[in-house]
Amino acid sequence: MATATAKTVQIKIKRQDAPAGNPHWEEYELPWRAGMNVISSLMEIAATGQTKDGHETSAITYDANCLEEVCGSCAMVINGKVRMACSALIDKLDQPITVEPLKKFPVVRDLRVDRSVLFENLKRVKAWVPLDGTYDLGEGPRQSMTLQEELYPISRCISCCSCMEACPQFNDDTNFVGAATIAQVKLFNSHPTGESLKRERLDALMGDGGIHECGYAQNCVEVCPKEIQLTKAISEVSRDVMVQAVGDLFRK
Amino acid sequence: MAASESTISGVQPLRAGEGNSFLWRRLHSLSGIIPIGAFLLEHFLSNAAAIQGPAAYAEQVRFLNSLPLVPVLEFFGIYLPITYHGLYGIYIWLRGKNNVTEYPWTGNWLYTSQRWTGIVAFLYMGYHVYTQRFSGIHLGTHPEAAFGKVQAELLNPWILAFYVAGIVAASWHFAYGVWLFCAKWGITTGQRAQKWLGYICLLLAIALIGGGLATLAAFRSAPVQSPASQVETQLR
Repeated sequence: MATATAKTVQIKIKRQDAPAGNPHWEEYELPWRAGMNVISSLMEIAATGQTKDGHETSAITYDANCLEEVCGSCAMVINGKVRMACSALIDKLDQPITVEPLKKFPVVRDLRVDRSVLFENLKRVKAWVPLDGTYDLGEGPRQSMTLQEELYPISRCISCCSCMEACPQFNDDTNFVGAATIAQVKLFNSHPTGESLKRERLDALMGDGGIHECGYAQNCVEVCPKEIQLTKAISEVSRDVMVQAVGDLFRK
Repeated sequence: MAASESTISGVQPLRAGEGNSFLWRRLHSLSGIIPIGAFLLEHFLSNAAAIQGPAAYAEQVRFLNSLPLVPVLEFFGIYLPITYHGLYGIYIWLRGKNNVTEYPWTGNWLYTSQRWTGIVAFLYMGYHVYTQRFSGIHLGTHPEAAFGKVQAELLNPWILAFYVAGIVAASWHFAYGVWLFCAKWGITTGQRAQKWLGYICLLLAIALIGGGLATLAAFRSAPVQSPASQVETQLR
């Protein structure tokens, strides 16, 4: 590789001071180093505190934690597509690199967004295994290896919200619940103990903004950093919802 | 479940237990297959009788109009479901935030094409029903004039182009609609199954488009049925 003198990295970042603030672009230039990613570049910008044309600027606010694509906090729109900033390697990105906050979530400041809608959705579908009681319930039922292998990938969801960001149906007209929550419904409905809340979870997904708003654009599967088979989960849960809805016509 | 307690700004959480959108959306999905899809197949097949010539075509029209309760079949089997499917489809379209420029992937293109083919097919059907069913000579009572009535329209190249667009749009919309139906109702769930159904639906689309275009060609290549001869038949 040629040792180009003063090889640099050009980055444009969309900044915003407050939730209601005016978004604006700032440009940065960094010395190139091997193995850089978007998060390390943000750290570097924080260290220099300067824009490309030498103006002093405030530190950029962003969420990040694990830096190895397992915590889910650093999802950003990088070069127009949602992805995890920690695994977005500078050498693999076209420059100037554009970095924006997620577009479907309220901006808190700069690249930091409020993703609590996912937490709310998970609560509404009771995405947990009910265990609370007044006495020790003992061991739970065993899960077969086959079931474990099917469910483990879904349990790797990191709540990054990429699937929702890329979904054309996830917006403030439909208020669609999004793929992540539906996949968790599959996870907990398939769990031998979690199954006891199946009926309530499926009922919840029939509400406005529920599973029926999915339009199968399938962007969710493409962007999911954990490669969860989201459309498969949606189709399977969709069938369960339908079976329950039709069954209720006769039962209720 | 009181779901409206949310204080979140932006996209709102799931409204568990609220609203009827599930029913309307599933009805939209089902109506696309039954009765609309079923009628589409029947309609393509019936019209293909044109390939066998004006006499066979007239016989087909006569047969269809000999079915009992034709107005009831037309209303509940065709007009009502298509109107609902079309209007609710436009509503679905307006509520989606298309992002195919940012995410130009196959599934997203198909999502987009389903909306455009839907509107083209819907507008075409409005025109087609008006010209062939509600204006000009009434084919229910004059089946022998059917071939000539369609042919007269198709001799105009602009109308022919509109028919081609309508056939392509309706065929594609229905074929991908079958794929979507199977995904949404949990009939095909896995990647392999969905991929193979995709190929099958592509063949279905090609078959419908091929059949439709062959039918149009039959109208264009047959000797021109003079309007005068239609009138004569009428008077006889």
